[in-house]
Amino acid sequence: MLVKVKSIATRGIQSLAVDVEVNVSSRGIPCLEIIGLADKSVDESKGRVRTAFQNSGLDFPNKKITVNLAPADISKEGSLYDLPIATGLLCATLGLDVPEESLFFGELSFDGTLRHTKGAFLLSIYAKENGFKRVFVPTSCANEASSIEGVSVIGIDNLNYLVDCLRGGENFIDRVCIKNTPTPQTDEVKLREDFDFSNIIDQFQAKRALEICAAGGHNLIMVGPPGSGKTMLAKSLVSLLPYLSFEEAVEVTKIYSLVGKIPPNCGLVKERPFRSPHHTTSYAGMIGGGSIPFPGEITLAHRGVLFMDEFNEFPRIVVESLRQPMESGVVTVSRSKISVDFPSRFILIASSNPCPCGFYGDPKKECRCNENRIKNYQAKLSGPILDRIDLHVNVLPVERNRLLKGDASVGESSKSVRDRVLRAREIQENRFKKDRVFSNSEMSNKHIGKYCRMNDDCETLLLQAVEKFGLSTRAYFKLIKISRTIADLEGKDNIEISHIAEAVQYRSKIFL
Amino acid sequence: MAGWVSISDYEYPEGLRNSPNPPRILFYKGNWRPEIFDNCLAVVGSRKMSLYGKKVVSEIISVLSKKITIVSGFMTGVDMEAHVQALKFGLSTIAVMPCGIDLIHPRGNDFTYNEIIKKNGLIMSEYESLFQPKIWTYPRRNRIVAGLSKAVLVIEASVNSGSLITARLANSCKRKVFVIPGSIFSNLTEGKVQISKDFAEFIYSGLEINEFFNFFEDSVSSKSSIEKRENTNEILRALENDSMAVDDLSRKLGREVSDINRELTILLLKNEVTEKEGKFYAC
Repeated sequence: MLVKVKSIATRGIQSLAVDVEVNVSSRGIPCLEIIGLADKSVDESKGRVRTAFQNSGLDFPNKKITVNLAPADISKEGSLYDLPIATGLLCATLGLDVPEESLFFGELSFDGTLRHTKGAFLLSIYAKENGFKRVFVPTSCANEASSIEGVSVIGIDNLNYLVDCLRGGENFIDRVCIKNTPTPQTDEVKLREDFDFSNIIDQFQAKRALEICAAGGHNLIMVGPPGSGKTMLAKSLVSLLPYLSFEEAVEVTKIYSLVGKIPPNCGLVKERPFRSPHHTTSYAGMIGGGSIPFPGEITLAHRGVLFMDEFNEFPRIVVESLRQPMESGVVTVSRSKISVDFPSRFILIASSNPCPCGFYGDPKKECRCNENRIKNYQAKLSGPILDRIDLHVNVLPVERNRLLKGDASVGESSKSVRDRVLRAREIQENRFKKDRVFSNSEMSNKHIGKYCRMNDDCETLLLQAVEKFGLSTRAYFKLIKISRTIADLEGKDNIEISHIAEAVQYRSKIFL
Repeated sequence: MAGWVSISDYEYPEGLRNSPNPPRILFYKGNWRPEIFDNCLAVVGSRKMSLYGKKVVSEIISVLSKKITIVSGFMTGVDMEAHVQALKFGLSTIAVMPCGIDLIHPRGNDFTYNEIIKKNGLIMSEYESLFQPKIWTYPRRNRIVAGLSKAVLVIEASVNSGSLITARLANSCKRKVFVIPGSIFSNLTEGKVQISKDFAEFIYSGLEINEFFNFFEDSVSSKSSIEKRENTNEILRALENDSMAVDDLSRKLGREVSDINRELTILLLKNEVTEKEGKFYAC
């Protein structure tokens, strides 16, 4: 008897239809075999399904069982085919119908319960896009899967419950399914208070730069001696950023679902990602890689912050590979058999010491490096990559006596800065309604022409600055984008001279 | 014009001949004029020159008599700045190289190198052709710098720096050593204080060097006429005495950093302030 159960296979964050065809034949030597380019994790499904049947008190058919994962030419991996195979077997042996317009997905445990499986969110997205009504997922994935409207989710606890569902038919299933959990109230997200602006003494220049970063989604590099507060500043950026909008949350959740970073019983990702990969991270770990490409750090930081501490210590190939994704917001990972696009629109916060020993330019401590080492160290940050970073800031250490005396000022708290950032983001949202752009930093030259009008005086100042600091054409446009963000922070419609003048300060040379 | 002079030659600089351990042969590039050695002042200092040091070099050299020759070691930092400022204010300058006479070291300074030759200065070395600089050739080079000069001016020096070697060598062959005062918050002051306790004399203005060389006639108006010019801009006034980062300015003047940044850009473009490693100073 032949039963067909629908499931999916993931290719990057895209999903493909997979038909799980289960054939139970009375003829032939009793066995269970899986064909259809299944990798080891799929093949081991045999053992899991067989044992789960036995431990749930269900009869495992003593017949020749062949499972085909169609189409047969794309390789399948992962443990998610346990549930479709079990469903197929149950339907075949018990003579039940497979529920219509349904997708099955989940890993079985030996005791017959279903385990949390990665990718449930992608399953729901696929179901919605391709007109499937229902998805059957492990209970711990139900919240994740039900974040998408228009897809009914049936959370399966164990195999016996699955039998009940199959026996109960459509009526039973419609009664137990979860329709759609309400979209999360983003205000519930609590910001981490240990990384608040009000905990950082002085550093007003850097704080202002971070405010601009947060408002316009710009990239930032901070250069300064060790202990000057670069890491703390970077971490506080998250407290300035607006909460994820629903569309953004969907994009982020897709990625996190794919890599299995959504904990059991959780739904949409609500917090902006903050990734700080160590500087020994490999090139594939950064960009994404593997024979079936897996997202890297830059994709995990999508719509969030990628913090690269000790930027200069990263291997050159890793840093250089950031160039294209930073510009386009997408990274294409190509392997011999397959090429996958991953989204990678992140705010890059880089921090670096000015020299190998770290104290070059420190007013108090002597730098022990010789000239050539300093030059080589700084040359490692190539022109092209620095050119793509919008804001450059020098962070100098706070004087020790100011720390102790307690006369140091902390300035605004993150919350009040955040209010300004949100207003600026709102202005941008209204401006880019029709453009499929979220922030000023994503503007193309066409958008700049349209939205960044300025008078002749501004143009003159810009050109003077470009001349004086030897800026590239890209830097010129970046200057305009930063000016636009500064103007938005002030709620001004047009870019004024003062905005450009401030922006220039973040583009002047940071080194030597 | 290139050539060499031996210690037995008449043209060999007298001061150098009288110093301990003079080089037997001096290779040179440029126009060898005996009078260039008459009033030599060595200007030495740290490779990691601070903004303050940079400002001092140009301030001092701007008031020096044009008859003085600036001798230095053609190294990054204070040395190079001394050559550049000497060229700028029309003083002759001698660069003593730690490497072969045909090598431009450190790399990337071809412009200054050629300019020194063009403007009637000298490039000098005791090593021939393309001999690479070694760790021991730098202190050996310093003895020539000290030997050529009647006085040595130490701009900035941390403890154990090469500039102190030059200063001590100069003192040992009875040359005058001047030092510029510095902030006690800078590590580049430490070495200066050390030598001042032993032999060096603090000076406050380039005019004192003119006096030492007995040049009284041309008391050129100092560049520090900024002080007299009554700055109306409060940022420029704040930067008159010290280099400051944006944060310092904001704190001192009680204004927002965004505000300060805006004004600084305008001042930068007008060339009224300069920036180095995040700190600003008035030109």
